[in-house]
Amino acid sequence: MKKTILHLDDEAEIRDLLTQYLAARGYRVIPASSPTEAMRAIREDKPDLIITDLQLDDADGLEVVDQFKAVLPDTPVILLTGVLIDPHVAEETVGTKVAAYVEKTASLTKLVAEVKRLIGD
Amino acid sequence: MIPIGAKADPGRTPPPPLQLPVKDNTLRRVSVIFLVIFGVLAGVAIYAVKTINRAQVSSDWVNQTHEIILEVDGVLSTLRAGEGAMRTYLLTGDRRDLAAAREAFAVTTEHVEIAKALTRSDENAHAQVLRLEDLANRRIEWSERLAELREGDDAAAVQEALRTDAGVDALGEIRRAVERLREEQMALLAGRDRESYLQAQKTRWIVGTGVGLNFLLFAAVTWLLRDDLAARRRAAEALRAANEQLDAKVRERTTELAASNEQLTMENLERRWTNQALEHQLRYNQLIVDSVYDLVFVLTKALNVTRINPAVVHLTGWEAKDLLGGPLQRVVRLEENAEEPVLSPAGPIAQALRDGRELRERAAVVEDRRGRTVSAKVTLFPLRDRDKVVGGILIVHAASVSQEGKA
Repeated sequence: MKKTILHLDDEAEIRDLLTQYLAARGYRVIPASSPTEAMRAIREDKPDLIITDLQLDDADGLEVVDQFKAVLPDTPVILLTGVLIDPHVAEETVGTKVAAYVEKTASLTKLVAEVKRLIGD
Repeated sequence: MIPIGAKADPGRTPPPPLQLPVKDNTLRRVSVIFLVIFGVLAGVAIYAVKTINRAQVSSDWVNQTHEIILEVDGVLSTLRAGEGAMRTYLLTGDRRDLAAAREAFAVTTEHVEIAKALTRSDENAHAQVLRLEDLANRRIEWSERLAELREGDDAAAVQEALRTDAGVDALGEIRRAVERLREEQMALLAGRDRESYLQAQKTRWIVGTGVGLNFLLFAAVTWLLRDDLAARRRAAEALRAANEQLDAKVRERTTELAASNEQLTMENLERRWTNQALEHQLRYNQLIVDSVYDLVFVLTKALNVTRINPAVVHLTGWEAKDLLGGPLQRVVRLEENAEEPVLSPAGPIAQALRDGRELRERAAVVEDRRGRTVSAKVTLFPLRDRDKVVGGILIVHAASVSQEGKA
């Protein structure tokens, strides 16, 4: 059975890219464009992993992570960061709120490697 | 993995050319053989029909010949019977005997007439029958004369007539004539019988040969068809094997293409992801520069302005299109060289760029579009691309705004 990944990002192109890439790697992807849409998707279909952007239009990524953890405390979360985060802050957050963070400038191969590390194939 | 558009591997052995043994002339040969078979059948059938017709004619002739023999035998027998009845009449005078004699003679005449009709086509036999008729008529006439004499009760004349009668000789002559005719007809019958036997033998040989030949021809056709079927079976098998080989190659190539396509898709996604990351990077860098309150000028080594930040527009009133490509001195001048244009090759900024040095906190003046000036501090950072100075970044920190303007 395919593992399910919920992907939250306000940019359509990013959602489209990650959906195609992760689907080609054998994962089932549920894209969401806003925290509200993501919470609705979580209630309907519990994902095995959540990938969320840090910089969202109408919300703070870390606050959204808190909301996810309240509903799915055992589901790992990967934070996708742009260039506006301090690496030290990122390291402090890892292990407390999120299972991993990946920069958007990193390759998709690295992202998939983190996904595999957290939930397997 | 074979990339799309790559040429076939020269190391791979191409499949052997498909060789199909084709029997183009089998149909022609079979058609010719069947034509011969039908020809032989037709020939045998025509010959058989002719033989049957000939046999029918021969049978009719045989029947007719037997009829002639019967009729001529009938002439002799009825003539004898008539004479016998006549002698009885001569003795008894009983008219019934006379009637019987005349009836017998009438039958004799009838036999003669039939014999004449039957021998009309045979000149020799017909002549003999005519002679027989003459002899028979003479005997009948003689018997009638005897009957007349008897009716006249002239017994002496009757005896005299009987005494002088050459009946035995006459009957003997008639008998000989009949026998001769019979013998000739029997000889003809025997000859015809021989002919019929020979004809039957000939027919038997011809039919047997025709049937035997046709069996051989059918065997030849069977052999040709069997040979052709075997060749077609081999061709079909070769075709099936070639198709299987082709299918296998198609499947192999399809798998390779699918893998290549998947790889390309993934590479394309990676490339798009990298592009969006670069766009984000550029956008954020631009945001950072645009957010700086100080004036930022990007200069060439010739001190022309290539980029500015929004703070320049805000403070000086100049639009980017007015400043880009133009000299820095339009808006910024160092105070220590107020008399000397900044653009001068001997100026400190140009010199610092040539030397690849920084300039820190130099006093300068910023002039806006209306000619108003502002005191400022400028800091120059050489812009390096792989250790080569390609230009500079001038940061201008404006202190105050002067209300005086140029006249």
